[in-house]
Amino acid sequence: MHGEELTWSLPVISYLFLAGMGAGALATSASVLLRSGPSGTYFNIARYGAFIAPIPVSIGCFLLIFELGTFHVGLWFRWINLYRVINLSPMSIGTWLLTFFIGISILYAATFLPRNAAPGDKWDRPRRLLAWVCVPLGIGVAVYTGVLLGAMPSRPFWNSPILAMLFLLSSLSTGIAGIMLAWAILHRKGDPEAEHRYRESGYLLTATDILLIALESLVLLLFIMYAHLTIGSVKHAISVILAGGPLASTFWLWVVLLGLLIPAVIELFLILPRLLYQKTFEVHRSLEVFMPVAVLIGGFMLRYVVVTAGQITYPIGL
Amino acid sequence: MFELCLYFELEIMGPNGFRTEKMMSARTMKRKRGRRKFMERLGVATAAAAGAAALPAAARAAAPKRAVQYGMLIDARRCVGCHACTVACKSEFDVPLGVNRSWVEYTEKGDHPFAQRTFLPRLCNHCSEPPCVRVCPTGATYKRRDGIVVIDKNMCIGCKYCLQACPYDARFLNPITGTADKCDFCVHRISQGLVPACVNTCVGRARIFGDVNASGSEISKLIAHNAVTVLRKEMGTQPNVFYIGADDSDEHDIHYTGQYIHVNTHRSKKERR
Ligand code: SF4
Ligand code: SF4
Repeated sequence: MHGEELTWSLPVISYLFLAGMGAGALATSASVLLRSGPSGTYFNIARYGAFIAPIPVSIGCFLLIFELGTFHVGLWFRWINLYRVINLSPMSIGTWLLTFFIGISILYAATFLPRNAAPGDKWDRPRRLLAWVCVPLGIGVAVYTGVLLGAMPSRPFWNSPILAMLFLLSSLSTGIAGIMLAWAILHRKGDPEAEHRYRESGYLLTATDILLIALESLVLLLFIMYAHLTIGSVKHAISVILAGGPLASTFWLWVVLLGLLIPAVIELFLILPRLLYQKTFEVHRSLEVFMPVAVLIGGFMLRYVVVTAGQITYPIGL
Repeated sequence: MFELCLYFELEIMGPNGFRTEKMMSARTMKRKRGRRKFMERLGVATAAAAGAAALPAAARAAAPKRAVQYGMLIDARRCVGCHACTVACKSEFDVPLGVNRSWVEYTEKGDHPFAQRTFLPRLCNHCSEPPCVRVCPTGATYKRRDGIVVIDKNMCIGCKYCLQACPYDARFLNPITGTADKCDFCVHRISQGLVPACVNTCVGRARIFGDVNASGSEISKLIAHNAVTVLRKEMGTQPNVFYIGADDSDEHDIHYTGQYIHVNTHRSKKERR
């Protein structure tokens, strides 16, 4: 598409998406667990989130290692050097953060492993204690994916503090979408009690997700607006996703339309009857799958557009 | 704080600027950090006692002026665009195909009869505030005591973060070693008292190499007596490669001047970034 190979390509793009999704799932799971009482209505959200979280993050980390230059020339374990140093490089901080994330999220998931795991069982205390760590850890990893890109003045498209915020919101939203999707696929019709819980949880997730999508759209708007209203490098950089730019159609169709607008409209229609008229929350199976898939695709394409746009633009003037 | 950290990290290098230890173990680092904290506190305490905050203020000031800072002055008026430096550099380091440590850009602008072409030799600027050093997660990229920014290729993992962070596109991934690579001012030559290969070969004597902080050196006199520029000053990197008469227009200027401008980078990356 751009003639030249990108310095950071698909593995890094996928990593940013996967790490964000895992981090979002963990933060959602842990905060739902901490907020919900002993009734256990939302316990399954926490459970699904906990099981999902470590998987995308670990896959993302492997992808990162595949992208390393030294890995390509057969120095398979050179990345261990990351653990020999701690410095203020965002990547160094991120490495340690991700390591703790994977370790702690696996421990946290383990507390949900017993078949009869429920609030108040013997794992309740450690589970809650870990959840207290998991919330900041998840948010930390999600923010870090934006800081990684944002820390460099040499990349005007990325060099904005709001990028980390955008990635955080998108991470939480994709994390929730991951939970919704897993649940929609694995859910089997059960007794009325379970059905009730399922519907309550679905409502909570959908209502949260639409809030996140709204915030994400706002942050995205600010990101574009401020970049466009400046002059010089940043304005030049943002022009690649605006009308006439090489990434414009990818951005507006995949990220904005499919990833934000369509899910937002669907979710709005789903939650309004319950919100306004206290009707029961019902979702058709196909929508239940389509909605999170759209959010996930949008999240991936957001990373794709941002990472690519950052690398095909540069400071103007020499 | 970060400057201080860098400053102390540099202390582990040997007298001639090369790293004596392969790398610091985490424990040594911790010890060093402990010591630093202690010394900082000591510094604050003494200063407070003496009623003068001079010591910590001086320690915190950005970019402590180095005793030695090697740099280069490129007189673009004397450059004929012959690429002798590019070739000398290629053969000095056996630089793989498709990448360059040093290169010469051509800028063509204007229409007949006012067309002109200028030459701009490029290399790593050995910045005093190098963003590449700041982002390196392994400490493989560091600034030596003599101001040269180098890459420890046994430490580098090839994450390419520094390639992104350098505002001059001076870095590349060496396809053979898989690590980041760039100009190092020919440390192996200058440690033997020779000048860098590109300086040695330049037919127009357009390149002057030396210590920019030594007041008596040829380079510092020339910098003092000429109107010099650095590239992308607004980035705050404080480059140590200076230019006389450099034409730093780029293709975006066409929007302002309406004049034909074309930059030929002579690199596999056609676009200058
Ligand atoms: S020119 Fe680039 S590679 Fe060289 S010191 Fe400056 S930032 Fe680092
Ligand atoms: S590629 Fe090597 S030198 Fe560059 S930031 Fe990564 S580890 Fe440091």
